Amino acid sequence: MLQKKIKITNSLGLHARPSTLIVRAATKYRCDFYIEKNSMRVNGKSIMGVMMLAAECGSELNLIADGIDEEYLLEEIEELIKSGFGED
Amino acid sequence: MKSITIREFFDLKKKDLALSLVTEPETLDKKLSSPHINRPGLALAGYLDVFSAECIQVFGEVEVRYLQSLKEDLMLERARSIFKLDIPCIIVTKGLTFPPALEYLANDLNIPILSSRFSTTQLIQQLTRYLQYVFALEKTIHATLMDIFGLGILLSGKSGIGKSECALDLIHRGHSLVGDDMITIRHLDEQLVGRSARDFGHFMEIRGVGFINVERMFGIERVRRQKNIDLQIELMPWQDNMDYERMGLSTNYADHLGVKVPVIFLPVSPGKNVSVIVEVAAMNMILKGVGYDAAEDFNRQLHDEIRKQTLQKPSTAPLDAPEKD
Repeated sequence: MLQKKIKITNSLGLHARPSTLIVRAATKYRCDFYIEKNSMRVNGKSIMGVMMLAAECGSELNLIADGIDEEYLLEEIEELIKSGFGED
Repeated sequence: MKSITIREFFDLKKKDLALSLVTEPETLDKKLSSPHINRPGLALAGYLDVFSAECIQVFGEVEVRYLQSLKEDLMLERARSIFKLDIPCIIVTKGLTFPPALEYLANDLNIPILSSRFSTTQLIQQLTRYLQYVFALEKTIHATLMDIFGLGILLSGKSGIGKSECALDLIHRGHSLVGDDMITIRHLDEQLVGRSARDFGHFMEIRGVGFINVERMFGIERVRRQKNIDLQIELMPWQDNMDYERMGLSTNYADHLGVKVPVIFLPVSPGKNVSVIVEVAAMNMILKGVGYDAAEDFNRQLHDEIRKQTLQKPSTAPLDAPEKD
């Protein structure tokens, strides 16, 4: 199992479009994927779950991946979040 | 270009348009390949620079009275000038009598003359509707068409994916079948109208059972003759690398005969109740039609929540955030 802490950098936060991008990227991998924000933990492959975090700009997320391709998943998701989802 | 003979037209619409044949029956072999109608008033008066010779020529009271007002030589000359342009057919309205000399001329040049008891306006209206239907762009596709809560839903997808079985389930739930397997769609008034490719009745093939007659089995209220197509649902086997719509914030469209139809790609896997999803897609479309979009509603609330949280801890908000302006 791998974990990674990361900050949301795009000003609108995880609204529908970024959430869709995260889920779309995550579902390509076989490992389990969870995202934690404060005390809330959601399945990172569920669009409803990811949006329910209502993660705003500057908030810190804990990415948790567990499975054979966990490092590749984390790498791609991290890159996606750092890129600001092509917004701003 | 599609064409029909005037004989086909006459046999089919004789009753609806109150038509009778004035010229000899042989003249009916003329072909028609234009969906338009022309009033030849100006042409009869001598202006032939612009004249739609390929159209059905409708002679109303104006044309007939004008011809009658001319001396016989001139009348024949003017009539000949348009008859010889190989016009497909003449329809005289209001049951008016055509000058006998022109009947001979039409027989001579092999041009059919029909007489209708309808007024010119009435005839043109009905004739236009019929011709538009006959000459509409059309194609036949492999799909199943259903009426679901009043919407025309086209179920498409490869053979064996379960279109018919899904349709059967929907019929069982109280929806109606327009046609199974082969659907002819026509482009009419910027809409797509679909019906079964053959008027054999509402038959379906259910694998393992064979042919069934839906009308006999479920009753007349479970079948429709034709339906405007509002939504296409493409059933497809589940593919891991396919991007299925998750939120529904954007709409995909399929192009049929130049008309854009919203399309949903629906992954099918064993144990999945496809007909319920089809029903839900139809209801969601109805809701969008009356102004409620669930995906937008959710996203708006999410934006509000994110904004609220951003405001609660201004220290972490970026300098260029809109709230700081």
